[in-house]
Amino acid sequence: MTLLNIDNLHVKLEDEDRDIIRGLSLTVNPGEVHAIMGPNGSGKSTLSYVLAGREGYEVTEGSVTFKGEDLLEMSPDERAAKGVFLAFQYPIEIPGVATMQFLKVALNAQRKARGEKELSTPDFMRLVKDRAAKLNVSQDMLKRPVNVGFSGGEKKRAEILQMAVLEPSLCILDETDSGLDIDALRVVADGVNALRSPDRGMIVITHYQRLLDYIVPDFVHVLSKGRIVKSGDKSLALELEEKGYAEFTQDAA
Amino acid sequence: MSTALARTAAEEALGFQLPNRRMEDWRWTDLRQLIDKPYPPRQKVVAKSADVDRLLASSLFSGVAATRMVFVNGEYDATHSKQANGWVESTAALDDPVNLMNVAFATDGARLRIEGNVDTPIELVFISTDAAPRTVATRNVIEIADDASATIIETHVGEGSYLANSVMEIRIGHNARLDRIKVELESHDAVHLAHAHVIVGQNVTFRDFTLTTGAKLNRQNGTFRFIGEFADAKISGAYLLAGKQHADTALVVDHEVPNCASRELFKCVMDDHARGIFQGKVIVRPGAQKTDGKQSSHALLLTETAEFDAKPELEIYADDVACGHGATSGDLNHDHVFYLKSRGIPEAEAKALLIAAFVGEAFDTVHHDGIREALAVFAERWLTEHRRKG
Ligand SMILES: Nc1ncnc2c1ncn2[C@@H]1O[C@H](COP(=O)(O)OP(=O)(O)OP(=O)(O)O)[C@@H](O)[C@H]1O
Ligand SMILES: [Mg+2]
Repeated sequence: MTLLNIDNLHVKLEDEDRDIIRGLSLTVNPGEVHAIMGPNGSGKSTLSYVLAGREGYEVTEGSVTFKGEDLLEMSPDERAAKGVFLAFQYPIEIPGVATMQFLKVALNAQRKARGEKELSTPDFMRLVKDRAAKLNVSQDMLKRPVNVGFSGGEKKRAEILQMAVLEPSLCILDETDSGLDIDALRVVADGVNALRSPDRGMIVITHYQRLLDYIVPDFVHVLSKGRIVKSGDKSLALELEEKGYAEFTQDAA
Repeated sequence: MSTALARTAAEEALGFQLPNRRMEDWRWTDLRQLIDKPYPPRQKVVAKSADVDRLLASSLFSGVAATRMVFVNGEYDATHSKQANGWVESTAALDDPVNLMNVAFATDGARLRIEGNVDTPIELVFISTDAAPRTVATRNVIEIADDASATIIETHVGEGSYLANSVMEIRIGHNARLDRIKVELESHDAVHLAHAHVIVGQNVTFRDFTLTTGAKLNRQNGTFRFIGEFADAKISGAYLLAGKQHADTALVVDHEVPNCASRELFKCVMDDHARGIFQGKVIVRPGAQKTDGKQSSHALLLTETAEFDAKPELEIYADDVACGHGATSGDLNHDHVFYLKSRGIPEAEAKALLIAAFVGEAFDTVHHDGIREALAVFAERWLTEHRRKG
């Protein structure tokens, strides 16, 4: 079964009439990694928010099905429990909520929603410690409130840690590479690659070919002005790196 | 002026004039209007032991090792108490209406003198059992000797309809330390009127925290007098209010001597039609130089019908001081809620977490880990389990 099917999606802001996503179609099968590239403001983050269920957007046309169900009908927490995970371009700081507590509440809420047994505290601690060590996330970071006082790069690593703990079936990474130093990029890419599996799909949004050297995509799509204007294999990313987006930004008006 | 008003039924029963909105301090809490039935004083009510046990167990701190002293319907209950009552004279002459009624109606109260370092917290539990509406009044006097230290919890619980009037006089001797934690978890049909009168000696470290969450109508006054130099007081509080609950805290922090520091921090959550008020006055007397006095109140309004009013006041008669106040008010951050939901946390749980995080800052003044933890657990479950309805 297809994991995600986006068909002719049109999205506008609730309080504005301009369409941001304008007829986008994309199919992600289990095991596939899709890279989405495109100029600033082309709608990449908007697409990721719509998939995660953020409010403020209105779908005016089209559909999104996830594992055969209407994704747009689900609340964000239902989507998460079904397996959707968005690593935010700008992860949010939540003062007063401890990272460990947050992870535990999130994981157990998802397990409960899926009718699985909640994880005991020792099992949970073991899981997080193991995943954190692989991503170079320090114990000190885990003790702090969610993302509070984390550097830009630390926030990105923390997002991937959440993903590694929650083990979603659709990972959407929105510019996870931006703000990462060279070593961190490798660590994060390794973390993401460790999650690649035949039953998990990924959408990797990035501006840079470099990330795709590490996380090698099956497909590369160019998003411009709210629609996919070109798709190809990983060589498309190299081409874009060389030529830029000029070709698409002119045509796609 | 107010003498011209005909007595309300409540005033008839009490034999007292209730404060009303024409009095500056009571403008948001007009007891003449808000107290809508008679609560006759000095009614003897005998409680069933099972009721007392149940209410004792409802204390947030029933799981915390503490020396308990229990008052049931305004009287010391020896069978449920570990701590024997003593005698300390009342010395505070307060002319506020709550205190005047307390002087007239109080039937009993804790009278304790603390010496040395008392490690185990002392929990004073004030229980009102379900009976005909009446006033239940206690006057408590606690003296912390020079160089002594203690943690004193004050828990107010009850069932049914009553008016609790609680006055707490506290004198803290030189070089002493007191952590006071008060939880107002009265019956949802109760009125809670209180005055804490605290005298802070030289070199004292004083920590005060109050959780306000139970009664339908709550008015808590606090008077904190610094009478010795180099003392440090942190006074914090949290409101968790829902339904039509109304809570008004009016504090006066009085710096009579130089070189003392006071911090007030109130974090107030109001849901439904609840209404919260925080009035904080800081006085710096002539000559009280180097006073460091700051207060802030922050409100989280979960609905558009909830309301919060803050009235900070500074009265400063010295020139070399650092004083200030701040007040904010807002709703839950939607991005925070979305972030939590995007990780699979359902809306109600996400909100509960954020509410606990918001009020949690006020728990930081509480030193005792078990007490702080119990407060945090209550806050986390408030939205889904403990909140007052209606
Ligand atoms: N909440 C919003 N309010 C106003 N404009 C918005 C909002 N969300 C998105 N937009 C607009 O929609 C367009 C697409 O934004 P989006 O963030 O999806 O772009 P992007 O492709 O992720 O860009 P970048 O590469 O810079 O991250 C932009 O023109 C942006 O200004
Ligand atoms: Mg973006």
